[in-house]
Amino acid sequence: MSSTTVITTSSADLAAFDRTTSRWGRITMIAALVLSLAAPLYLVLFADLGITQTQVWIAFLAVAAVFSVLWVVEPITYYPILGPAAMYQAFMIGNIANKLLPSALVAQAAIGAKAGTKRGEFSALMAICGAAMVHVFFMLVFVGLLGSTLVSIVPTEVIDVARLYIFPSIIGAVIVQLIVSLKQPRVTMIAVGTAVVVFFVLVPAVPAIANLATGITVVTTAVLSWFLRSKRRSDSTKENS
Amino acid sequence: MITSLPGDPGSTEILAIANLPVLWIFAVGVFAAIILQTIIYVRAARIAAPAAGISPTELKTSFRAGAVAAIGPSLAVVLVSVALLSLFGTPAVLVRVGLVGSAATETASASIAATTMGAALGDASYTQSVFAVAFMAMSLSGAMWMIATLVLTPLLKRGDSRLRSVNPALMAIIPAAALLGAFASLGIGEFGKTPVHILTVLASAAVMGACLLVARRFDQGWLREWGLGFSIVIGLIVAYSAHTTGLAPVA
Repeated sequence: MSSTTVITTSSADLAAFDRTTSRWGRITMIAALVLSLAAPLYLVLFADLGITQTQVWIAFLAVAAVFSVLWVVEPITYYPILGPAAMYQAFMIGNIANKLLPSALVAQAAIGAKAGTKRGEFSALMAICGAAMVHVFFMLVFVGLLGSTLVSIVPTEVIDVARLYIFPSIIGAVIVQLIVSLKQPRVTMIAVGTAVVVFFVLVPAVPAIANLATGITVVTTAVLSWFLRSKRRSDSTKENS
Repeated sequence: MITSLPGDPGSTEILAIANLPVLWIFAVGVFAAIILQTIIYVRAARIAAPAAGISPTELKTSFRAGAVAAIGPSLAVVLVSVALLSLFGTPAVLVRVGLVGSAATETASASIAATTMGAALGDASYTQSVFAVAFMAMSLSGAMWMIATLVLTPLLKRGDSRLRSVNPALMAIIPAAALLGAFASLGIGEFGKTPVHILTVLASAAVMGACLLVARRFDQGWLREWGLGFSIVIGLIVAYSAHTTGLAPVA
């Protein structure tokens, strides 16, 4: 009799936890979503920059051509690892694979909880809360408060050069990181080959498509990778591991 | 430094509009949403802890372990963020690079958006209006990630079988192809600019390669997180020396 009561109260507690985290996870995420859109919207609408709606849509569609697949695939991929409550944290805080997941694993190891159990889920959730607070603190202090000061002690001509080459200095590293972490040599070859053809053959031949180069490369790479994929079973399992 | 008034479409003084107080308020609001969420989650976890078979001490241990584990990766993000301040201004960097997105996706989005306006990040074509459109496009893309999370999480919770039955080969190949295609294209695009751009891409790639190699060979996991920061710093040093020794065309 008493054990039944314990079970019912505990499942009621878990249901309450589920309700609270789902409701407030969603509310806070929607708030972050609205606030994060409000800033650029303010500039576009009220800063008198003469920006047309068409310009915004074209830019967004070009970005969507590249990232739309990931919008959908990433939440599906991370759900089994994160669980519903942590989903609302993770996609707001960012840097999931390199910061949040390691934090969750370390915490589970620290208290000997297994992933997939309730203990594991709670441990991961608390770990992500801890990681979030550290990250928020560091960002606000070192970037928000001290960032401009740090930048201002650097000579202006260095900043100007840095601004000019910041993008190539990110992109080289990111490509190497992607190639190593995705471990898809075939797709990598197809992507680089397609990019070279688009940039050095297609665009010089038809300069009008220069603005679409990245979108064309992405779509072509996706289609070619799909049709040229290794169909042997042993290969596909090797690539997944 | 900020000389022109806000709202000069052709001006390259990005920070004049990128650091407007209004943008600061919105950025701090996003941080407030995360802090609020954390407080609510911690409270909810404390109440339900006995039911989940976890003790209050273990909750505290988990929180602390997560916090300590995040110090390194978080400082690595700080380094990258500071490097991007002159490009996007503090509020945009705080929200886009520090939180929702990452340095890689957001600079890629910004670059793609700038290209649609016939401009490139950081040079003379990178005007206030280009910045505003790029900022808008990357924020919309980030919003789509959150919308997908808001829509998919309840569906996945119900165990929607259609989502789980997606062909695993498709799930493995298409996202990888999209990412590799996008970044290969953006990287190759840099090769069409100046010798300094090419040198910078190669230096950055080499540093990341070295970091990942050392990380694996000598079991130094932290190098994986700091790789991007180191690549940017060394890439920029290489770019600066090449630029000032006259490898770049006279602008």
